Amino acid sequence: MAMQGGTALQEKVSRMLSRKHKKPVLKPNKPLVLKDEVANRKIKKGEATCVTEMSMMMACWKQNNFVDTLCSNEMQSFYKCVEKAQIAVKNKSEQHTIGQSGRLQPKQATILLKRYPNLHVEI
Amino acid sequence: MIRVLLVRWSRYNPYYLEPEPRKEVYHIPETELTPEQKEERELKSVRPIKAATNSVTSSVFNDPVLSKFVNMMMKDGDKIIAKGIITQTLENMKRKQVEKYHKAPEVKKAEIECNPYVIFHQALENCKPVIGLASIQKGGKFYQVPIPLTDNRRRFLAMKWMITECRDNKHRRTLMYEKLSQELLAAFSKEGNVVKRKHELHKMAESNRAYAHYRWW
Repeated sequence: MAMQGGTALQEKVSRMLSRKHKKPVLKPNKPLVLKDEVANRKIKKGEATCVTEMSMMMACWKQNNFVDTLCSNEMQSFYKCVEKAQIAVKNKSEQHTIGQSGRLQPKQATILLKRYPNLHVEI
Repeated sequence: MIRVLLVRWSRYNPYYLEPEPRKEVYHIPETELTPEQKEERELKSVRPIKAATNSVTSSVFNDPVLSKFVNMMMKDGDKIIAKGIITQTLENMKRKQVEKYHKAPEVKKAEIECNPYVIFHQALENCKPVIGLASIQKGGKFYQVPIPLTDNRRRFLAMKWMITECRDNKHRRTLMYEKLSQELLAAFSKEGNVVKRKHELHKMAESNRAYAHYRWW
């Protein structure tokens, strides 16, 4: 079944390259060969964490002329928020690497492809 | 430079475990161990353990923060000179504080801190910045964005500022330990150039607070 799909694709490619009927659709400057790797997918760009805590702390600083002792409450809440954000990031990345939900991660796909690379030298 | 002391390898097989230099861990009686600690003990009896580095000791005077400071001050691997400077600094701080203590009236005597280690730790705490700035590119231009820093980064910045300040801004004939003790005592009472530098960083971050949303983490 895969072989039929393979030959159909090759016929289509050769038709697109041919100059029989009209101008060729494809004019490749490199050989039409797949790479042994998969491109890394861009994860969704997150947003800035702990902005509210930071702005509260900065307002406190502005009021008290940057003396640290008077702003200790806000600073403590900022540190706690930062810690929570770090733990959340770690959990999320862990969850991504372990649970793929049916699809292979790009890094794992690359590892598997590199084990059986395309042959470019005749054995 | 000729190596006089033994060196342990830094590349071990991943299943080697880290050594435990603290004595209190081994003094806990069998009954008071939690199940995780029991598991850890059993694992340690089976697996090989890495050799301990020269800088960790099980003595009461072993201070990881102080060791890190000594390492940062060290030049060309000369730990002896760096450690000597730090001991002279601590002695100098103690002398100054004891002098102040004896000259002070009875009421103020309780407030003067004489323990140089306590002064060192408190001074370092006072020098640590709370947020840092990162250069983030958006739309072709680079903006200084305020970001939260990890504890290690904050400690490193405090130590780095202290050392550079003592190396650069001193009079021609003041020795390093003298200048360091002056700076540490000033930082302990929240004056001095290092604390000023921290406040300037905070002010920069505060003025750039509009760009805080350029962060994506």
